[in-house]
Amino acid sequence: MITARDDILKRSKQRARAAGDHPPAWRSRRQFDDLSRRFVDSLAAVHGEACVVPSLEAAFARLGDLLAEIGAGRVVVNDEPPFSGVDMAARWPDIEWHVAGRSAGDLRAFCAAADVGLSSADAALAETGTLVVTSGPGRSRLVTLLVSVHIALVPVSRLTADLFTWTAGRSTPPPAMITLISGPSKTADIEQVMAIGVHGPKRFIVILYGDED
Amino acid sequence: MSSVSFKDFRTSAARAIADVRLQSAIDGATLTFRTGRVKALADLPDVDGLRDQLKAIRSATLARLADHLEMFEQQARAAGSHVYWARDAAEANRFVLDIAQQHGAKLAVKSKSMATEEIHLNAELQNAGITPVETDLGEWIIQLAGEPPSHIIGPALHKTREQVAELFSREVGRTLPPDDIPMLTAEARRLLREQFLAADIGISGANIGVAETGSVVLVTNEGNGRLVTSAPPVHIAIMGIEKIAPTWDDAAVWLALLARSSTGQPMSCYTTAITGPARDGDPDGPREVYIVLLDNGRADLVGSDYDEILQCIRCGACLNACPVYQEVGGHSYGVPYSGPVGAVLMPLLYGLAENEALPHASSLCGACLDVCPARIDLPRLLLKLRAEEVREHMLTPQERLLENAVAFVLRHPRLYRALTGLGRIFQRPLARGGLLRLPRRLNPAGERQLPALAKRSFRSMWNEIKDGQL
Ligand code: SF4
Repeated sequence: MITARDDILKRSKQRARAAGDHPPAWRSRRQFDDLSRRFVDSLAAVHGEACVVPSLEAAFARLGDLLAEIGAGRVVVNDEPPFSGVDMAARWPDIEWHVAGRSAGDLRAFCAAADVGLSSADAALAETGTLVVTSGPGRSRLVTLLVSVHIALVPVSRLTADLFTWTAGRSTPPPAMITLISGPSKTADIEQVMAIGVHGPKRFIVILYGDED
Repeated sequence: MSSVSFKDFRTSAARAIADVRLQSAIDGATLTFRTGRVKALADLPDVDGLRDQLKAIRSATLARLADHLEMFEQQARAAGSHVYWARDAAEANRFVLDIAQQHGAKLAVKSKSMATEEIHLNAELQNAGITPVETDLGEWIIQLAGEPPSHIIGPALHKTREQVAELFSREVGRTLPPDDIPMLTAEARRLLREQFLAADIGISGANIGVAETGSVVLVTNEGNGRLVTSAPPVHIAIMGIEKIAPTWDDAAVWLALLARSSTGQPMSCYTTAITGPARDGDPDGPREVYIVLLDNGRADLVGSDYDEILQCIRCGACLNACPVYQEVGGHSYGVPYSGPVGAVLMPLLYGLAENEALPHASSLCGACLDVCPARIDLPRLLLKLRAEEVREHMLTPQERLLENAVAFVLRHPRLYRALTGLGRIFQRPLARGGLLRLPRRLNPAGERQLPALAKRSFRSMWNEIKDGQL
């Protein structure tokens, strides 16, 4: 008996039109004079928040201000640069910290009750104010998802123009999960009224920091 | 499965048109989507070129669909996903149930998926003692109400805040006021969060399957697509076999047009690509990933007169643009796909005779073709379906006689003139202020207006102008 697989493949082949060449890849038409400026503006337009600071040290200072402003009591952080190796608990002793993949205790339960989740990102797309986050050792999916506020520290060298420049520079094979984040979680499912923070974070904050001289 | 006769369509359309609240809900939502789309596309450089590119990608992909599917399967397996092939709804549902039972699942969280609507998965899960919980807010609302979706993108856009408050109140066991939509959303977040964390399996559809890496791409705004693929230990994705993008470069073209065409966002809040289960060292993520490739009539469309419809990326723009959809709403089409895309797809997937009314649910104005990011010629497909209906079964002998007679008259100008001359005399009892009052049978909703024959025909006036008499 023919398997479902072979049956489907056979039927999708038998009448198929003559195949021309697959079109060549679309190349980005975007030219931004100032990638970080476009990123900040685009993210603000979709209810996200972003700022640009000159150095990693300045980024940590800005982070400290934000944690104080939020009144963060529980913070979960991905074990990835620029956080790995930094003793967060020594710097912010009043906060209860959890480092993904490192701290004892249930990561998931911690994330679900955390005020803030900290991560970096593989890339930042200027056109749409989008961050590309991935899974991997020390890089949790839930850290950027279950928390109330997601704050990302991203070096400006990871900025790229748009989706097309990102896929053109993509490395294979991909990790188990890639997520492109463009603003906080939202819905307009009730009478088209926008409500922020449905399943994901209610605030999405990106700190872009200078890493090139 | 689904069927919509002329009578069904007329009845539900008339009901929808008479429902003032529904009319304002549809008008408001489709207007928001339409203006959003125009604004979002205006920001893109060379949007026409990009749409041409999507069209070219989609048609080239379908011409080699089998090859791309094999590549997808091979890459998905290499990444550790299990791949199943389902010829129809029954096979797809059986795979899902088997997987669920194998893992002893009692609770399944679902992220919005038209494919699972198409195969009526929720009913099957329920019968097998597994509770499915929809986690897209709109889907959850209609699940609580026991209704099908009324729009591809906004499944609950027909519901008012009062109705939503009532449904949610029942769930939480106290009365929630309808005027505070952020509070209603927060209640949903709290309730669904519990389900996410307790769920045994997560079930999703797939917006795109990227063949070169075997990745399943999910696009959501709320984050349900991320949670379904992050929190439960098992993830099952059900993907129509036509949703293949050969490469990431191709997928980027879909993504650049999908959200902009549908809700008018530059990008949806979350676009997630799943390539196999969690890897060694990943702090979280599913231990098993299953992909069910759903045929359900699609393979037979490849190479047919209708295969252009397989190029659809399910953005919903054609619904928002369609003057018929705007009047009759999604439910009149039967479920799950409505609007122009549904009017083409439903008869093709579920039978033309069973869905005879749908190809006629269009004024053929072409608004859908104008907005479709894949430039699918929906009016052509609708006309083709109508022609097939007429050929196959639709005309009664009397209608056939009448059509032939009309054709004969139109071919003979003198006869035509003689008959319209008679018409001018005999229309008198029916004509009022330049309009004809149609008999009830031809005008069931009472809204049709047909102009009466003018006192004099254009041709006779033209002859006089030509001869200098006017
Ligand atoms: S037919 Fe075109 S406009 Fe309609 S949903 Fe599909 S892609 Fe969108």
